[in-house]
Amino acid sequence: MFYQFITGPLLWLTFGIFFVGLLVRVVNYIRGLDWQLDRVAYRAHPGMAIKGALQSIIHWLIPFGSVGWRFKPLYTIIFFVFHIGLVVTPLFLEGHAVLLKERWGINWPTISMGLADTLTIGVMAATVCIAIRRIALPEVRIVTTFYDYFLLLLTVTPFASGFLTVYQAPNPWAIQDFWLYAHILSGELLLIAIPFTKLFHVVGYFLSRGQLGVDFGVKRGFKAKGGFAW
Amino acid sequence: MPEGILCNKTPVTTKEQLDAVLADKGGKKYYEEMKHLEIDVEKLQTTLQATFKSRMKTWLEMCAHCGLCGDSCFLYLANRKDPTQVPSYKILSTLGKIVKKNGNVDNAHMRYCMDVAWSKCTCCNRCGSFCPYGIDMGVMFGYLRGLCFSQGFVPWELKIGSGMHRIFKAQMDVTPEDWVETCEWMADEQQDEWPGLEIPVDKEGADILYTCNAREPKHYPEDIAEAAILFHIAGENWTVPSEGWEQTCLTLFAGDWAGCKTQIENVYGAIERLKPKRVLGTECGHAHRCMVVEGPYWAGRADGRPPAPYLHYTEWVAEALRTGKIKIDPAKRIKEPVTLQDSCNYIRNYGLKDVTREIMSYLVEPGYFVEMTPNKEHNFCCGGGGGINGIGMYRQQRNVGLKVKRDQILATGCKLVISPCHNCWDAIRDLEEVYELGIRWTFLKPLLIKMAIIPEHLKPKEEEE
Repeated sequence: MFYQFITGPLLWLTFGIFFVGLLVRVVNYIRGLDWQLDRVAYRAHPGMAIKGALQSIIHWLIPFGSVGWRFKPLYTIIFFVFHIGLVVTPLFLEGHAVLLKERWGINWPTISMGLADTLTIGVMAATVCIAIRRIALPEVRIVTTFYDYFLLLLTVTPFASGFLTVYQAPNPWAIQDFWLYAHILSGELLLIAIPFTKLFHVVGYFLSRGQLGVDFGVKRGFKAKGGFAW
Repeated sequence: MPEGILCNKTPVTTKEQLDAVLADKGGKKYYEEMKHLEIDVEKLQTTLQATFKSRMKTWLEMCAHCGLCGDSCFLYLANRKDPTQVPSYKILSTLGKIVKKNGNVDNAHMRYCMDVAWSKCTCCNRCGSFCPYGIDMGVMFGYLRGLCFSQGFVPWELKIGSGMHRIFKAQMDVTPEDWVETCEWMADEQQDEWPGLEIPVDKEGADILYTCNAREPKHYPEDIAEAAILFHIAGENWTVPSEGWEQTCLTLFAGDWAGCKTQIENVYGAIERLKPKRVLGTECGHAHRCMVVEGPYWAGRADGRPPAPYLHYTEWVAEALRTGKIKIDPAKRIKEPVTLQDSCNYIRNYGLKDVTREIMSYLVEPGYFVEMTPNKEHNFCCGGGGGINGIGMYRQQRNVGLKVKRDQILATGCKLVISPCHNCWDAIRDLEEVYELGIRWTFLKPLLIKMAIIPEHLKPKEEEE
């Protein structure tokens, strides 16, 4: 019953909040752009603008694709292990695809359990590295707040609990399916939190990086052959 | 609401006000008054409401506090990785706080904002290209300067600079008459060596309209003469405007938004009046950013471009060399290790990296040009950008910041630095003064004059007895 509820109506509500919330974010962002205040001619040079935005977004999506990434190789590895695991694992996990198949008969591509485990362990290990980095490096410590740790915890919980579910780990309260429920609920909490927190960067990255790309594409870097060397 | 006599929220717009502020040497009284300046919270809120939009809002909100921007900032590096120099920290603790508190900040916070905005950021925009989100702290500090200026928290020199622009339409007290006279004087002075050399004023429909930096007529008019000589050698049909010749805009440094608009419109007015085919600015990165990169927006031009194609001096030089308008004597090319300072304002923030390197290929004997590391779009600020060169109160911070450029230059092993930017040129000169490296630095103009092959018909005729 409880399981039906949290994977039924509550899941729908979660997806609703997640998608509508992000859509509102995107719309508000674009509506709040102002060519004169931002001093970027967004509309005047569409070709240059699109090229600049794509260049900026793509270079930063590829590991070591930008000068910035190449400058910090260790961080870059941790960053991509973290993010690739975050995106790929839940989307292509067999356990998730089974639900799609059972409920709607959709055949969804999946990754192997071995890969899913590796990615999940990667996410958890990267989380630890990110937390250590926040504490160890003075330049990160000074800008770190409690909220940053909270978001990190919020993000990693569905992965850790999912991992424990798969390996049927015991729980201290001996509640049946405890890790499964913890996994589903923390996953839903994460999805709901995304539009309302810094985590909205799942779309915000594309908007912000794209915006600076347009800035360099039409204004600040348009004289350079091949655009800005990200 | 306590407003100082010298330090207040009203920009300087009259000669009397200007003289009063100038008379307060070093801004002693000015800064004393600043300590008692009250914040107009309502005005700050209204400004935020009207101008703080999604781009910056998102930047401040989304910043992941990853600290990656630290190493991108030359001031962070120069200050031995002092965490309070991390760009993210600098902007969150200043503008971030103003936004969070919706303008309910006190005098001490505004003075802190002023210190950070002018002594801990030169608006070089390097951090923006090292942030995965593309958060450009330089842009935000430019904005913060505007908020500070509107509340009267602006370094003394820039209060004066803004006033100069509002009164003289130039960063220094050079009137249109002074300017035209200087041009005539410079043309006259050259007649022995360059018979027939002219500095045409207000010629309509010329191929090139030349604009410069007020320091040229005020302090080193030879620079104008050099520009004229090079146009003369290249056989250009050029002119200067009697009004609207000042390409710099200290109002931009000062955060005086209204002052920016009038200054830029003054120059654009000259372009519209004289209808040149193209406009050419002097060897100044700041001036280029004012009139070419940011200017169109201040003037409300939706296409983001000036009224006529507006070139940086390096673009013209590269073209003149490429087309053979100016020919270099191969025997006179530079035959010693030489490096090039990439100005943030027209390299990172305009994209002229290939143009300046093309020039090097003509001026420097192959094998002698040495790149700085990093370079091009990722070069470090000279250390003197964003107005910090001219602010007495921040001289010490500026000098510390110069260390990064010093080490970059030392690593090249060169004793000669080519610096086609007024601000960089000044910073490198001061760097030599402070750190005594034994280096020389130069604009392009004197180099070109030394190396150019002078066409026979331009040479002075031997006097026949």
